[in-house]
Amino acid sequence: MERRQVTGGDLVRYAIIFALLIFFLFPIYWMIATSFKAPGDILTRPPRWTFQPTLENYFYAFEQANFGLFIKNTLIVAVVSTAIVIVIGSLAAYSFARYDVGAGHLMFFILSTRMFPAIAVVIPYFVIFRDLGNTVIGQALSLGLDRLGALVVCYTMFNLPFGIWLMHSFFQDIPVELEDSARLDGYSRLQVLLRVVLPLVAPGLAVTAIFCLIFAWNEFLFAFMLTRAVARTITVGVASFWTQRGILWGPLSAAATVCVVPMLIFALLLQRYIVRGLTFGAVRG
Amino acid sequence: MNDIERFADSSPARLGRGKKGKVLSDAWFSVLLITPAMIIIFFFALYPLFYALNFALRHVDLTTAVGVGPLVGLDNFRFALNDRFFWHATKVTLIFTIAAVSVEMGLGIGIAFLLYQVRWFKGVIRSLLLLPLATAPAATGLIWRHMYHPDFGVYNYFLSLLGLPELNWLGSINLALPSVIVFDIWQWTPFVALIVLAGLQSLPREPFEAAELDGASTWQVLRRLTFPMLSPVLTLVFVLRTIDALRLYDAVYSLTSGGPGTVTETLTYYLYRIGLKFFRMDRASAIAFLFLYVTIVFSGIVLRSLTRAQSERARRL
Repeated sequence: MERRQVTGGDLVRYAIIFALLIFFLFPIYWMIATSFKAPGDILTRPPRWTFQPTLENYFYAFEQANFGLFIKNTLIVAVVSTAIVIVIGSLAAYSFARYDVGAGHLMFFILSTRMFPAIAVVIPYFVIFRDLGNTVIGQALSLGLDRLGALVVCYTMFNLPFGIWLMHSFFQDIPVELEDSARLDGYSRLQVLLRVVLPLVAPGLAVTAIFCLIFAWNEFLFAFMLTRAVARTITVGVASFWTQRGILWGPLSAAATVCVVPMLIFALLLQRYIVRGLTFGAVRG
Repeated sequence: MNDIERFADSSPARLGRGKKGKVLSDAWFSVLLITPAMIIIFFFALYPLFYALNFALRHVDLTTAVGVGPLVGLDNFRFALNDRFFWHATKVTLIFTIAAVSVEMGLGIGIAFLLYQVRWFKGVIRSLLLLPLATAPAATGLIWRHMYHPDFGVYNYFLSLLGLPELNWLGSINLALPSVIVFDIWQWTPFVALIVLAGLQSLPREPFEAAELDGASTWQVLRRLTFPMLSPVLTLVFVLRTIDALRLYDAVYSLTSGGPGTVTETLTYYLYRIGLKFFRMDRASAIAFLFLYVTIVFSGIVLRSLTRAQSERARRL
């Protein structure tokens, strides 16, 4: 097709898209801008569009609120729970895709555990972890209220059904003939899985891991209910600038920026894979 | 062969009748693969549910010395069904879900069609649209609280520039819930748009070319071809969005904390108030079960249609 002139329709389309992008991106810009404002520039009327940038808010967030610890906690919990989901979930997803265990009913059951409202299990979790925290086993595995192990359990629980479903669609894309010929070459079933199937499905596992990491990083409810100080994560840390005396807007924006920007960079770098994963295997291509 | 493989290939022979060389059947191998996942799901998803059921049937008040008390039958369910806050929260949850999901679907589908027709910068626009949904609602909700500020908020500033009356976004009884809905629309419309766009891009070209040759109108093409072919994707987005909207918690917590009064109190927030502020775990568990029942019935109905659509697609391929 030859290169057409810019038509009136194009102009209208780009004008609408421009307006939409402002709506969707402005809050993110506003968060970052506020984080670099001095206290006197934040609550003003009209809002300040130009200002002398300062790192004051970031110093406050990291020194006063121990934000470094929150980041460390979040990283540990997100990475450990994601690793567990990928290892255990991929075995199950392969089994569902290749052998169809439970003829679809078991898959549906696993998926339905994802429908449980988190709040419905967070209450029993609260009591279970409170009791478990006082036992020897609980202390050894760091399973208790305000312990990282408890959060790892929660995040594994809510990411596992999703992970199995997503990885299932990637395993289904691997042709069975490939596995059959590997079996004829004398590979055992486990060798087929480890040496033939897993390398092929690795990009799919990476997509799943990206999602599990983002979900765990952004999770708020479990972390808010089950931690107090030691195991506090980044999202709860952001909310902690909402104090008895009011909201500390500057440090809050700095904390929110530290919480949000890594995931934005992550999403931008891996956007192709994320869109593929978002479609959950419902769209091929 | 390493140890795991030896175990996987020969354990039933050793554990079973002791026949040498007999390998694990496919059925046993597949069950072995799902065992770790099933153990986790059983202990960490089902066990807490039974725990909650036990609570729901007892008197449990963690603020008193008694703690977990005697069985009281269905008293806690009776409490919930007679509590006007429960019905109010149910109403708020339904209004929120219906309003947010329908706007997100409509706007998202519109954006997807718009992007589909766009010729330049498609990749850049798509990347930028992805950003809101990667953010933590607990964090961005608080930023929106600043933007909604009645005196210093940037939205009221824009309204005043346009000469419109300024609004008490989160503080007014009539406006608080719509303001929370707008936040959810901000975060999740791009999600709908990106999935529908991916769906549009994956549609086969031939039927559309044939329709064009037959002189079909745009409306006929949309109604007869595009939407029917997109329906599995649309169902999927609809289910995912509805389930998440019903469970909304983070945004309510950070934007309004259920206020003013209980105007924006959704079921999850109501549960939180009963269970972890008043520590009436018994009542909270009973409410959680009522909630669970409704979501499972809903998702069961829609998911069945979704899995049917997917298996039909698999048959076509």
